Amino acid sequence: MTLHKNWKGITLFMLPVGVMYFTFFIYPLGYVFVLSTMSWSGFGPMEFVGLHNFRRLLGMTSFQFGLRNNLIWALSLGFIQVGLAAVVAMILARKPPFWRFLRTVYFLPTVISQVAIAMLWYTIYRENFGLLNTILRNMGLDQLAINWLGTFTTALPAVIAQQLFYIGYFMIIILAGVMSIPKSLYESAEIDGATVLQQEFYITIPMVRDIVVVAMTLAMAFGIRHFEATFLLTGGGPAHRTTTLGILLHRNLHAANYGRGNAIAAVLIVVGALIITVVRRLLSTRSAVEDAKQ
Amino acid sequence: MSSSETVQHARTQTPSEGVGLAKRVVGKIAKWSVLLFFLAITLFPLLWLIMTTFKTNAEFMADPLALPSGIYWQNYADAVRVSGLPRLLLNSVMVSSGSTIIAMFICSMGAFVFAREEFRGKQIILTVILAGVLVPIIALMVPYYRIIRSIGLFDHLFGLTLVYVAINIPISTFLLQGFMKSIPYELEEAGIIDGCGFWQRYARIVLPLSKLGLVTAGTFVFLFSWNEFIYALLLTTSFANRTLQLGIRDFQGQFFTNYTGMYAAIVLSIIPSVIVYVLFHDRIVSGLTSGALKS
Repeated sequence: MTLHKNWKGITLFMLPVGVMYFTFFIYPLGYVFVLSTMSWSGFGPMEFVGLHNFRRLLGMTSFQFGLRNNLIWALSLGFIQVGLAAVVAMILARKPPFWRFLRTVYFLPTVISQVAIAMLWYTIYRENFGLLNTILRNMGLDQLAINWLGTFTTALPAVIAQQLFYIGYFMIIILAGVMSIPKSLYESAEIDGATVLQQEFYITIPMVRDIVVVAMTLAMAFGIRHFEATFLLTGGGPAHRTTTLGILLHRNLHAANYGRGNAIAAVLIVVGALIITVVRRLLSTRSAVEDAKQ
Repeated sequence: MSSSETVQHARTQTPSEGVGLAKRVVGKIAKWSVLLFFLAITLFPLLWLIMTTFKTNAEFMADPLALPSGIYWQNYADAVRVSGLPRLLLNSVMVSSGSTIIAMFICSMGAFVFAREEFRGKQIILTVILAGVLVPIIALMVPYYRIIRSIGLFDHLFGLTLVYVAINIPISTFLLQGFMKSIPYELEEAGIIDGCGFWQRYARIVLPLSKLGLVTAGTFVFLFSWNEFIYALLLTTSFANRTLQLGIRDFQGQFFTNYTGMYAAIVLSIIPSVIVYVLFHDRIVSGLTSGALKS
């Protein structure tokens, strides 16, 4: 299109994005992996310690709980949250009464900050005057009204639940996919006598499979990155039962344990990449479905 | 269209009308239970919170579920006074609009090159930038902390702004270049014949036509910056530089046992996000879906 390339223009236009990207993505990623093999408290010379930081981490209870909890988070969001979102999307795609209103409401929590949501759920879970325990006591179930966030067995499920049922983000993504399926497919299935459930199983699910996998990937990435609600609701307690790698990283940074902090960060990056790759390999089909969409 | 659908539906159901009807009723009940469950879990806690803000503390502690006896506005006055909300809001507005403007400016320049120019290695650079979406930003806590300290922007709103711009580069560049690609070349060719240079093609032709794309990408940057907590926590310390999200965290300490006052502060802190959502609902949906469908 252009007769001669304007290299000056191209370079100038790419420069701000390029410099920012290098400073805040490429350099920090290198920094994390290099520092993860060092021992350093922010002052004085760094000391190369090889894999020592990682070996220390593996022996720490807090790290074991953190890694386990991150995996539970990723799997809960990836499979349960996205699964629920897919079911709701399939229902809304058939445009029941008020479907626009419902779509708007379901998505609403997504734009509210995680901090405000966490505070809201704190008011729900708190032992006294909390919404949940008030309802339980009114129903005469006093023995069930416990300190949800302070009990070993309920703390992690409670923190996960406050995010699990806000399906709006993934529902919107999947809904767009379901709605782009040609109506004629359903019409001919209907003529052949297929029930609604059969139509969903044999038409909708195969057609939106790749979009659902994208949603699962995103959800698992969110699970690996999780920080806010845990930090605000439990701080990782009781006794590391709800801790995550992000929480531990933040702790180590504050203690100026830069080597160990970056080792945790490196684990977070690698585990995140691994879990996403595995799920995509197992579930994604980039073949006939793609052609059918065109 | 829906009426012809029902007619057709009824016709196919005739052989086993009774069973079909029963099945359809069960299906309807199942469908609406799911929809109402999610409606309740989304709205009920929020509405309960709002209702509580109109009660006095004594009323709230006597029965957290009861309706308020009257409308008690004092909680909102307390909320503003105790929490320092005006300052928090001002800081958040500055950081969020600042990062939105800067991100849109630099990302639209980059996106312009990606969408309208051809050169060797372009696809590779674009892919590398897009891959940034997959980086768990939380893992970069230590380097970000050190970088911002070393350039002297620690505990400075501009330091936070810069980080928010950087984090949003991959998604903004991706959305904008996708949008710019859809603008027809003819207009630009006419401009070139008229002697438009590189800068003029960007500023006079492509940018004005990308308004919708800029609003979409900008909404995402704004909402992200408005709601961001981790780096605000990490990179600022003084009250003067605290953003709204950090302020919310302090409500517990500030309000102590004034529960209803604290709830009012939470409600006030949510309102701006809800306003942005109402205004830009369509842009958010289109940005999300175009991003997901193409990735």
